[in-house]
This record gives sequence, C-alpha cells and structure tokens, in this order.
Amino acid sequence: MLQTSARLIRTLLAVMAALFVIWAFVTVAVREARRFWKDDNRTEIVVMHWSGEGGQEEDQIVEDALGQFERENPTLRVRRINPGDAGSFYTKLQTMMASGDPPDVFYVGSERLPAFVSLGLLAPLDDFLKRDSQLNVRDRIILEDFYPATVKAFQYDGIQSGEGAIYGIPKDFTTVGFYWNKDLFARAGLAPPSQNWTWDEFIADARAIGKLPDCTGAEFVTWPAMIRAYLMTEGVDVKGSSFDEPTTSNPEVFNALDRLRSWRHDESHTLTSGKSKIASGSSVFLTGKIGLAGPFGRWVVPSYRKIAPRDQGGFEWDFAPLPRGKVDSNIVLTVSWSISNQSKHPQEAWSLVRFLSGESTQRALARLGLAIPTIRAAAKSESFNDPNQEPANDAGFLTAADHARIVDWPTNPQFEALLGSRLDQGLKTGDLPLTQAITNFERDWRVESQSPLRSDSFPAMPWIALGWIVLLASLAGLAVWIAILRRGNLPAHQRSEERAGYFLASPWIVGFALFMAFPIVMSLALAFARWKGVSPLSSAEFAGTANFQQLFQFDQRFRTSLVVTAYYAILAVPAGQILALLAALLMNARVRGIHLFRAAWYLPSVLAGVGVAVLWRWIFDSDGGLMNAALQPLLTPLGLTAPEWFGQDAAIWGAPAFALMSLWFVGGTMIVFLAGIQQIPIELYEAASIDGSGRLRQFWSITLPMLSPIILFNAIMAIIASFQVFTQAFVMTGGEPGDLTRFYVLYLYNQGFEFYEMGYASAMAWILLLVVLALTVIVLRTSNRWVHTEGQKS
Amino acid sequence: MATVELKAVSKIYGTTVRAVDSVDLSISDGEFIVLVGPSGCGKSTTLRMIAGLEDLSGGTISIGNRIVNDVPPKDRNIAMVFQNYALYPHLNVRQNLSFGLERRRTFKSRWRGIWDSTYRTQRHAERLAITARVDAAARTLGIEQLLHRPPRELSGGQRQRVAVGRALVRDPAVFLFDEPLSNLDALLRGEMRTELRILHRSLRATMVYVTHDQEEAMSLADRMVVMKDGVVQQIGSPAEIYGSPANRFVAGFIGTPPMNMFEGRIARDSTGDFTFHWKESVFSLCKRWVAGELSALGHDTVTLGIRPDRLRILPAGENKNSCCLTGHVVTIERYGPLADIVAVVNGMRVISRTSTDTLAAICEGDAITLEFQMQFAHMFRADGSAVTSPRN
Repeated sequence: MLQTSARLIRTLLAVMAALFVIWAFVTVAVREARRFWKDDNRTEIVVMHWSGEGGQEEDQIVEDALGQFERENPTLRVRRINPGDAGSFYTKLQTMMASGDPPDVFYVGSERLPAFVSLGLLAPLDDFLKRDSQLNVRDRIILEDFYPATVKAFQYDGIQSGEGAIYGIPKDFTTVGFYWNKDLFARAGLAPPSQNWTWDEFIADARAIGKLPDCTGAEFVTWPAMIRAYLMTEGVDVKGSSFDEPTTSNPEVFNALDRLRSWRHDESHTLTSGKSKIASGSSVFLTGKIGLAGPFGRWVVPSYRKIAPRDQGGFEWDFAPLPRGKVDSNIVLTVSWSISNQSKHPQEAWSLVRFLSGESTQRALARLGLAIPTIRAAAKSESFNDPNQEPANDAGFLTAADHARIVDWPTNPQFEALLGSRLDQGLKTGDLPLTQAITNFERDWRVESQSPLRSDSFPAMPWIALGWIVLLASLAGLAVWIAILRRGNLPAHQRSEERAGYFLASPWIVGFALFMAFPIVMSLALAFARWKGVSPLSSAEFAGTANFQQLFQFDQRFRTSLVVTAYYAILAVPAGQILALLAALLMNARVRGIHLFRAAWYLPSVLAGVGVAVLWRWIFDSDGGLMNAALQPLLTPLGLTAPEWFGQDAAIWGAPAFALMSLWFVGGTMIVFLAGIQQIPIELYEAASIDGSGRLRQFWSITLPMLSPIILFNAIMAIIASFQVFTQAFVMTGGEPGDLTRFYVLYLYNQGFEFYEMGYASAMAWILLLVVLALTVIVLRTSNRWVHTEGQKS
Repeated sequence: MATVELKAVSKIYGTTVRAVDSVDLSISDGEFIVLVGPSGCGKSTTLRMIAGLEDLSGGTISIGNRIVNDVPPKDRNIAMVFQNYALYPHLNVRQNLSFGLERRRTFKSRWRGIWDSTYRTQRHAERLAITARVDAAARTLGIEQLLHRPPRELSGGQRQRVAVGRALVRDPAVFLFDEPLSNLDALLRGEMRTELRILHRSLRATMVYVTHDQEEAMSLADRMVVMKDGVVQQIGSPAEIYGSPANRFVAGFIGTPPMNMFEGRIARDSTGDFTFHWKESVFSLCKRWVAGELSALGHDTVTLGIRPDRLRILPAGENKNSCCLTGHVVTIERYGPLADIVAVVNGMRVISRTSTDTLAAICEGDAITLEFQMQFAHMFRADGSAVTSPRN
C-alpha cells in the first residue's frame, strides 16, 4: 500500500517535471515563432540608449518619443533597450557589436567617436542628409541650425575630428563651467562671477571662501577632458600636430598645469583637499561648504536642483562659465544618435534618427535641465531657459557654446586613460612630482602608440583553418576516448550501465563543451590575435606572438600590475590564513553562544562584493575615514601620521589597504579551519597534555601538523583568489593613483573592456593562468615537507 | 613508583548526574588495580580524574602522598594508554615514543649550544639518553623494527605496543590504561594481556587499568574495583570477588557464563532446618549460612545464586537428593573440553557448565536433573547485599 502510493507520487513528480520542461521550451518557441511570422509584419528597429543622470524621466521621454514615432510610421516597430548608465550601455553595446547583432540606432558620446569610426562600427550619414535635402523632406535635419561645434564633434576623417564625414546627429550637448554657492560668495563678501571672468578672479574668490571657517574654495576635477578645457583657456593643448606628439612637457602647458597643482597642493583650503577618488566629483558641492565646483557640464543640474532652499537648510547656487585665461574658450561635450554600419534597415533607422534629433524631441529632453539642445532654436526656447528653475544663468552655457571647441581624442582610447591617470598623480594625489607624472605619461603613451600591435598590419585570423583543426582534434579525441571505452573488457550489463551513465551526464557534457571548453579554446586563439572586442570576430587579425612581445618587452603597466598583485598576495595570503586560523581556534571554544560568534565571523563573507567595497572606500578615505580616525590617536604620540592609503602614500600603502580589507572575507577560510580542528581526535591533546605539553606546544605539535592538509588547501585557494582580486579595486580606486592599485585582473579588464583589446586581454588571462598554475605547483611540490596527510582517514 | 589515594572522589555533570559518587580507593605501590563495570559506571571518569583530564567535583586524589587535585596532567608523573592508542599520526614510532621525553628535556634550547659548549655537550648527552631509553622500551615490547614507521602502517596490536611503549619510556610513577585492549581481536587481546602482566611483574609499577571486560579484569588484577552507576560495589582480589561477591550485582557481573539466580523465600522444614522455596522446588540449605542471619531474613524475597559450574548434572541412576532440579535441555554450547548446557527448569533458563566427558549421552530436548552444590551457593537479600557465610 505504502509502496504503491510512493511509486504513484514519484511518477506524478516525474510527469510534472517533464511537463514543466516541455512547457518552458514551448512558450519560448511560440513566442519566437510569433515574432517571426504572426500578425506583425512591421520592420523592427532596435534602439539603445542610456539614462544615467537623466534617470527615470529621460527613460520616459525616450519611450514617449518612440511611441510618437511608431504612430507616425505605422510600418515600423521600435524595440528599445536601456541598460542603465553609460558604463553598462557601452558594455552591452560592445557585446552586441561583437556578436554581430548591434542595435540599429544608439547613443555615441563624442569622445568615443574616432575609436568607433576607425573600427567601422558607424554608418556615415552624409548621403542621408543630402538625399533629404534634395527631396526636401518635411522634418529634414538642417545642420546649419545646430551649434557648429556639436556637429564637428561627430565628423571624423580617419585622422582628426571636425573634418570629413558625419557619423552622428548630436542630440544634446553641454559646455562646462563652475557651479557656485551664492551664500558662501555673499558671506565672503564677493561679487558674483561675471560671464567673462578670469582664472585670477576665480582663484581669488576660491582663496577668499577658503578662509571662511570649515570651508573650501573650490572643487576642481582633474578629468582629462576638463584638464584640456583648462589648457585651452590658456591657448594650449596636450596634443601637437597629432596625438603622437604630446605637448604636455612644453613650458606653457607645464606652467599652466603646475599653477593648478600649486593651487591645490601649496595652498590649503583653496582647492579641495580631496586627494582620493571619493572626495571629489560633483557631490561635494552638495555639502554647502564648497564655494565653487567644476568644471562640470549641464548634467549635474538635476541633482543640484534637489538642493533644499535656504530656509530649509540648503543654499542658493548658480552657474558661471569656464573662466578665461589668455583666450576665452570652452569645450563641447555631446552625445549623438548614430546608426550601426551593420544595420539591416539603414533608411528606416535614419528616419528614426531624424525624428529623435528633431526639435520637438530635443525640447522635451531640454526640460530635464540635463543638457542643452543642439538646435539653436530649441536651446534658446523656454524649454531650456526656464526662468523658474535653477540655474538662473542658462545663458552662460549658450554664450560659451559660441566659442566652444570639441575635445577630440585619438582612436586609441588609452591616450585619454593614460593622460587622466598619470596627470592625477601629479595634480590630485600628488604621489609623484608633476614633472615625473608628465614624463611617465609621455613614456607610457609612446610605448603604447609605437607598440608592434599598433603599427604592423597582420594577416586575417585563419578562423576556418582553426575551426577545422579544433574540430578534427576534438573528433580525434572523441575517437580515442570511444576506443578506450570499447577496449575495456566490461561485461554486457556494466557496459550498458556505462552507456546510461554517459547518457545521463550528456547535458552537462554538452554544457561544458559549449560554455567552458569553447570559450577556453577561443581565448587561447585570441591570445595570438589582435581583435577589438567591439568589432565582429571576422575582423580579428593573426598577430602571432605580438601580444606577448608587447606585454613582456614594452608594457610597463603590465609589469606594475604584476608587482602590485604580488605585493598584495604576499601580504593578504599569510595574513588571511593566520587570522582565519586564530579565529577558528577562538571559535572552537566551548562557551555559551558560540554559534552566534561563529555566525558573526562568517557573516561578512556572504555580503556582496560591491557593497562591501563601497563601505571600505569610506573606511580608507584619507579625509575623515574610519581607519585613519582610529589610527591617528595611536600614531600621533609616535610622531607619525596615518597614511593616505590611496593618495600620496599609495605606493607603499595601497596594496596593504586592500590586504587589510581582504581580512573582511576571512570567515569562509575560518569555517574550513574550524571543521578541520574539530576533526582532530581529542585524545591526541589528552595524550600530549599527559606527555608534558602545554597549550602552545599542543598547538605546534598537534593542531598545526594535523591541520596541515587543510592549511595547504586554504593556502592554495587564497593564492588563486589573491591573483584574481578585482571587485574591490575596481570599485574603490579603479587602479588609481597611477597604476599603484591596478591589480592584474583590473588591468586585464581595462584592456579588454575599456580599450577593447580583447586579444591582448586574452593573452594576459593565459599568462595569469600560467602564473597561478606555477605557484600552485610550487606550493604542492614543497608540501610534502610540511603537510602531514597521515592523520587523514583513508 | 607511588601510591594513589582517592578520598570521597566525586564527579557531577550539570547539577544532578553523579558520574562518580564518592569513591574511596587506596592503591598501594606497585599494585595492579583494575576498575571494572558496565559502560557508564564511572570507571573511565575515575581514571581520567586520576590523570587530571577531568576536574573533580569533590574529594581528593593524591599520588605519592601529594594531593594532585590542582596539578596539571603533565606534572602528575603519570602515563596513560588510550583505547584508540592516540598515537601522533604525523610522527613515526620513534618520535611518538620520545615525544614525552622531548617535552621534559632539561637542555631544551636549540640555540644556546651555538655559543655554550658545555650546554652543547649536555644537550647531546641528553639526546643520546633519550635514544637509549626509546631503544630499551622498543626492545622490551619487541617493536625495534618498527621505529621508523608511521603509525598508519602498523597493525592494531603493533599500535597498542607503541602506545604502551610511549607510557613505558617515560618511567612514570603510575601507569593508567583506559580500555587499552578493546580495539583488538580476541586472540591478540589474550596475548597482550599476558604481556601486560609480565610487564607489570618486571616493572613493579603502580598500574590502574579500566575495562568493561570482567574476564580481562580477573586475569590482570592484583585487586579489582567493581563499579556501578558511579558507586564502588566491591574491592578485592579476583578470587575474593569471584568467591564472595558482595552483592547481587557483583555476583551477576563477574563470571562467565553468569551466575544462575533463583528468587524465592526462606522457610523451615519439619526438622527445623532452613529450606529455600523457589516456585515448586524446595532445597535444603545444608547449614551453609548462619542460622541467625537466615532467620533475620524472615519472609523477604531472597536470591539464591549458583555459578553454572557448581550446578552439576546428575547422571542417570544416581539418587536425587533435596538439592535437585529437573528440566529439559534447550541447547548445548560446546567450548572444547567444556560445554554449557542451557536447560529450562520451572519455566526459567538455567545454565550448567560441565566437562564434555559427562555430556556424551545428553541431547537437546532430553530431560535432565541438575544438582545444586549448595556449599558454593550465594544468598542475597532483597536489597542485593550478600548474606555472609562463614565458609568463604
């Protein structure tokens, strides 16, 4: 009776599981089938955009605009993708492009344009414009109505921006300047900044406000684009006739940069003391203790509009354009709607771009206050110049637009990254003298631009031949495997059991082959290729050992990242093991509530990496972070000061800070140790105590040797993990200052996903594998000297 | 060599569980004492309290006239052999044997010898002495050829020898054994028993030995301590305990097969002699016990105990007397020269041990007559205590 009902239940469950699987597959199939040939024969256009600072409202405006477009064009259907902020957008765009299925229409920031164009990702739009004007289309785009600099930003002739074909219609833009705190200006008795103020006036104001109690004159961000904007006001720039000849060490450029450095480092409270990554950016202005903040564009306005009015504890603020030096200058930062070169419906995509770049959509977006419409008429309209909304000085943006220039970048995105990272060391963190920082920048850029990977042209990757080789090799392997299986003289029933086993394991085998083996083989092939991760795989070139040559011979940053990672590993692995072991010993005590303590120790390990990293970023903050607040009282009597972990002292204290932080995750290791300790027979301790051993001797003579296999396991795991440290550094420092916290995998990520050097990143990944493998082998080889497996139950 | 003195030693777990209840025991120098009892009787706890592995809840323990209640194990000058050997798995046999000696070295420092040559010489001499002692112990136990092996390569018996050797080499005042032979098979157990006995004879050391196996206890002990529920039931030589068990528990626990127990009443027959009434049977008690004590029992239920080897099979044709029982054979268990006959008498199982010679004619199912050898019988009161008999 009982057996029959158990069997019934089992059968029922099996049928339900089978039905569930079938249902899942069928629904997907039906949905896909419907999309292909049911009732909807409209052409689908895929649109991708982001809504970072614009948030929910920007998302809604684009959604509404697309709805309007669909109504006006009944033959078209628009699918919208919004991955969130700009970072996620570009990651998503990259994977879509690499897979050969890019969206038809998407945002492109002007700083990325040369890189994208040179990879052949964007369709030129001149023909569309010409045809529209010939046909005199009703809502055609008239570029003359646009601010000229915004149009130039999307022109590229293969060598420099501002010339040649146009690859995007600017949807909005911004000029930059400083947001100023009206209340602090009044308290310091200062006149408001004028529309054409100078750097001298700027710094005088900053100094005056810096003298107010507990206030700082100005927040001056040293982002590469802003540094260039600053230099342009002095009539200079970082590039000479081309980016291959940087002018950063020219006396005029150097003097301008050194003036900025001096304001920040030689004076106190003039420019923000924010030396670490966190204590800078647009949010410090919200504290109300900063006189000026910038250079920022329009994008901070939505968040600044949330500042409470004065009677509710907030303050009043306004905008002032970038001060002038020798010349009156400003920059244009803009985003376009562009069309993929691989779009299957370019004409339809163009009509969508035309619609989205049109005046009505621009006006709708302008109300967010986030950016300036690129069409002059829209920019001058009430939509943008809303007198009821801060800032009062909307005109300041527009005046600046007339003499603003584009900030172009070379096709190689490393220029911008290197410039930002190296100059920050001299200007912001101050861990290097400015001259040294500039020298490093020029050296690293020279290595990068003269790399064999840049200059040589390589043959196309022989994918088909490779495919055949891999296929034949796998078939040969399979044949050998089957032969081996056949040769085993198994009785018939065992053989059928074996077959059943393989059959049951087949989903996993297929999954492994598809999702593990294939990518592994692929990355090995790519290690010998030059491939931009955003272009289709077919565009990959066979570079031979050029990736490895560049890594080992020229790439200083690769070496630095290895050294930094090794430094971290040397500190983090032993410290983590020792702390985990001590904690495990402590947690092994038989006291009341020990389970609570164990849980408390383990708890940090289950918390999400990014959240914890953000938390620790605040702990290690050199201005009022918890760590230094705790350390300073201990160090002051010794005449020491707490280190600026990720600032000036990052060369010595950067990696140790991460090692300290890694102790947060010690719980997992501790649990393994605890389990090991509890496996040790209590009699051994009793025997040892009778034999004359005290507690310490028992630890050395019993606990450690008996635990040695577990120590080996934990140590190897820790070594592997320490070489893969990523999240913390990515979130907390981004590798800054310079490359002092740029761990190996972070640099790998930079190469692969920020500079799109997928081949290079693959080569790095394989080097990492070999390094970790070598270390593991070394540890295992030495282990027979110190690991006692005798205690293990066999 | 030392005496061990336990005075009112108690161990209480929590607030109520009295694992050891006021044990008094005086062990003289060189004596082999065996604590025996069923599991949970407190014998191991008592031993561990002597070792210092457990704290006392009450009473005192002294070793060599020194109260050691608060002395840590390592300073009690004792050695202990554990049931599962507790050999250090990561050390070889020699290192296992010398572990205790290494801990007790006078010249410990590895570094001082570098500049202090006298120290170096002394340290070297000490090391030689340790080697010599380990070698001597190994020789005594016949494990010289195993010295370089790790414990996991040893058989159970060899491990036990190493465990004993680890105690031996230390030359302690008191040896403690916690069921050291219970993980060995029967043959090896017998062998090791003999060796332990010989070892004790040659060392003349004080040994305290815990076992649940009464046979082992009988064969090893100078004196046995029978325990139950944390309370000492009887202390005495194996012969005393076997011959005159102090109570019904001891009588039942000691001896294989166990003593046959008959619950009945005392009465007097027409001649005024005491008789024992068990179910339908009546036995004459043959003046084994003092009349006064028997009459003091009144009409209480008493137990008459007789060991199986004192329950003789009456050959056919021999006259039945007043101490005979009749039943039929259920089964016969043969052990070489001896055999146990299990018979049912008055609905109760009775065991008789006899030599195989007398067995020839008996088959399972046969009727059988068993004769009480009343001069070897034991009488227990309702509370379990033995009625003393002048003869033993």
